[in-house]
Parts: sequence; structure tokens; C-alpha cells
Amino acid sequence: MGLKRQADAALHPVATRDYTRDLPGLIAQMSDVEVAVRRWAVRDLGSHPEAAAALGARLVVEADSSVRSALFSSLARLGGGDVVTAVLPLLRSEDPELRNGAIEVLSGLPDAVAPHIDALLCDGDSDVRIFTVNLLGDLHHIRVVAWLERVLMHDAAVNVVGAALEVLAEVGTDGSLPALRAVAQRFPDDAFIGFAVALAIERIGTP
Amino acid sequence: MKTGSLAVKPGPVVAPPAITDADFRKFAEFFYRKTGIHFDDSKRYFVDKRLVERIESTGAENFRAWFVALRFETDGAELQQLVNIMTVNETYFFREAYQFDCLVNNMLDEVAARKRPGSRIRIWSIPSSTGEEPYSIAIYLLERWAKIDQYDVEILSSDIDTSVLKAAQRGIYSQRSVGNLPPQYLKKYFTPNGDNEWRISRDLVDSVEFSRVNLSEPTDTRRFRDIDVIFCRNLLIYFDDLSRRVAAEAMFDAMSPGGFICLGHSESMSRMSSLYTVRRFPDAMVYQKPLEA
Repeated sequence: MGLKRQADAALHPVATRDYTRDLPGLIAQMSDVEVAVRRWAVRDLGSHPEAAAALGARLVVEADSSVRSALFSSLARLGGGDVVTAVLPLLRSEDPELRNGAIEVLSGLPDAVAPHIDALLCDGDSDVRIFTVNLLGDLHHIRVVAWLERVLMHDAAVNVVGAALEVLAEVGTDGSLPALRAVAQRFPDDAFIGFAVALAIERIGTP
Repeated sequence: MKTGSLAVKPGPVVAPPAITDADFRKFAEFFYRKTGIHFDDSKRYFVDKRLVERIESTGAENFRAWFVALRFETDGAELQQLVNIMTVNETYFFREAYQFDCLVNNMLDEVAARKRPGSRIRIWSIPSSTGEEPYSIAIYLLERWAKIDQYDVEILSSDIDTSVLKAAQRGIYSQRSVGNLPPQYLKKYFTPNGDNEWRISRDLVDSVEFSRVNLSEPTDTRRFRDIDVIFCRNLLIYFDDLSRRVAAEAMFDAMSPGGFICLGHSESMSRMSSLYTVRRFPDAMVYQKPLEA
């Protein structure tokens, strides 16, 4: 007993079969009854770009949070347009874990998600527009400020505008001031919008 | 000379750029959100000095220009530079020892209660750096855990850097590195090596299994199974968001149900992953893989 000597080789040897699991086999294992088997399959699929659609499809039926977490990580590792296509529908999910996971993945794929932003900001569902604004808050893309200013100028839903003001307070520039003044005039009777505009202008640093 | 990679508009900097209260708040909120590191007003001088350094290094005109560029950079290089200069990372024996106290006072007893006497308990220290942490764990176990003779304890330690692994196995340390050790432990486990160096005992070196591991690489972490306690301190802070999540998931799969993980004092697992639950012990707050997982 006591401290074991390193000569005893504590590490688990990695069997060759661990490396040869192929795409169809791994996709099949995503439906295994064992959570750990599903999690390992999902983690290994993070090296298979052609698995994007299968990983996205698994997200909507997978009930275990640890496997969901691995699904999002593998999708984020893969990246690219197929992943964006697979994940975008989750912005409409009633499940906040799926929505937040989708936003996290999408925020790491600025170039692939950018072509979808205009359409998302015109979506008929104001919740989708709010989640899109949340996504913009984490998106590293040169057009973020312009997209937010467009929300201020045109979106009719006060909650969407409020979300955009919150993000713009952090990332806005002098060029955002006309949009900020315009939105204050669009919602003259809304105390929250007035407060958020004043805060954004203060944060941007220009009176 | 510019040392940054940000695409900022260069401008003549005739005096050090000023950091206003609003700038400081804006930066502190952003940095907290990205790293979990909180700077309050008491750290104002420390933060301002480094912000000015980064603004000047990148050639930005002022704080606002630098911050906007930081906010929209795609490669995360400037954020990484910030993390590097805002954190001070030096390793030495018994660093952040409250977590070792927690190990021997609470965590190991809980792990042992789920096992039969004589069975194996496995501890993983990553990154090993030059060995101060895994050897500190070994000393703590030998000196302060009463049940050490009832269990077979394996200490594994890994790092991505093979040069520090070699140094860890050489086991020679400066006076500064051992300065926090109680004198009786220094005398018991070290021998002088020249004027200002100490050589750790071969028994301790032999009690740690060192290996090269990249936490972001699944084939590297696959060998690690049934780990009961992980020390992963001040490492994930240097990862980007995705790598941090992947590492958290890799450690989750390496751990036994009910296993514990200790992070650095400024790190928060809750910000990286929802897989773990928080456990508050008298000596420290740690994270736990659920027993039913």
C-alpha cells in the first residue's frame, strides 16, 4: 500500500481498435444505450467532417446533457457551412440548453454564419431575432455593429431592440450614435429604451 | 516596436493613453466574461498599466480603438496576450496549498469511502510543469493522509512540453521553488545540490508516472481512466473557449463517477462546462463528476 511505483504502469494501454472505428460505426454508436459509449462516439466524430448532419440530428433526440455537450463541442471542432446548416434550426428550439449551445457553436464560426444573419434578423419570430442578437454579442465579425444598428433603425419589437442596445453599449463606436438617437425617437415613451440608449452613449464615451 | 497582431488604425501616440473609469469597467466586464477573472478597483493600477502596454504595442490610437479591434479579432491572439500579461504563473512546492489540505482532509476520505481498503486511488496532476505540483501531492499524502497505508495510490502527471517533463524527472529545484516547504519536509525529502539547489528523493520521483499529453487531443487522453482526483490548475485559462470545453469533457471521461477536479483560484468550471457539480469543503471549493454519471 502507499504510493505506487511508476514501474507498475498505471496508464491504460490504448488498443488499436480504438483508432479504427469508422464513420458508419461511430454514427451507429451515437444510439448506444450506454451514455459513455455515445459520448466517446461523438467525441471521435469530431474528426469526421462528413458527420456534421448526423451530429446535428442527434442533438434533437439526445437526452443526456454530457452527450449533448460533447455533440456541441464536436460540431464546433468541425466548423464550416454544414455545421451552420445543422445547428441554425436549434435557434427555434424551446429547449434553452439547445439554443444556448447553438449560439455558442455559431459564434465560433463567423464566416460561415455571416451569410445567414440578414435573414435571421428578418425572421417573423421575435425570439429568433433576440437569439440572433445574442449571437451577435459573441460573434467576431466586422459587420456586427452594422447589423446591430440595423436592428435599432428597423426592428419593431422593443425586446429585440433592447437586446441590441445591450450589445451595442459594449461594441458600439462613434458611428453608432445616429442609430442610437434614432431609436430613442422611435420609442419615445419607453423608459427602458431611453435608459439603455443613455447608457450606450455613455459607454461609447461621446456626449 | 509593435508586438500585437490586431488590425487597428495606427496613430501618433504622444503620451501614454488614458484609461478612464468607463474604459476600465468595460474592459473588466469583457475580460470577466471571457476568462472568469475578476478585476475590481483595487487592481486598477495593475490593469491600467498592462492595458496601456497593449495599446502601445498594437499601435492603437486609444483604448476604444484597441478594444473594438480586440472585440472583433478572429484569431484570439490579442486576448491570449492579455491573459498572459494579466496572470502571473509561477510554480513552486505547496502552491495554493489549501487545495492539498482539502485533498487530505476531505476529498480522499470521500473517495476512499467508496472503495474497499487495498484498492487503487488514482490522482492526475496536469500540467506537471517541472514537477512541483505532483511531488507536493505525494508529500501531502505521505505526511498528512492517515489512510495512505490502506490504499494503493497512483499519481499520474502530464504536460504537453517534453522539456519540463524531463526537468520534473531530474528533480532539481531552486531555493525559491522549495521556499514554501516546511523545513522538516525539505530535510526529509531533499538533499542539497550545490549552493542554491535541492535534489528531490528518488523515491518521490519514482512515485509519479509522467507522460506527455495534449488535453485537446482525444487519442492522448483516452489512456486515462478511473481517475479519482484531478489537479488542473492555471492551465485552462490559457485555452480558447472551445479547447477549454473539449478539455473539460476529456477529463470528465477520464474520471471515476464521484471524482473531484481542482482548478486554479481564478478559474471556474461552471463557465466552461455544465458537466460538473460544485462541492464546497471547509478548505476549498472543487468540482465533482456526478456519482450517477
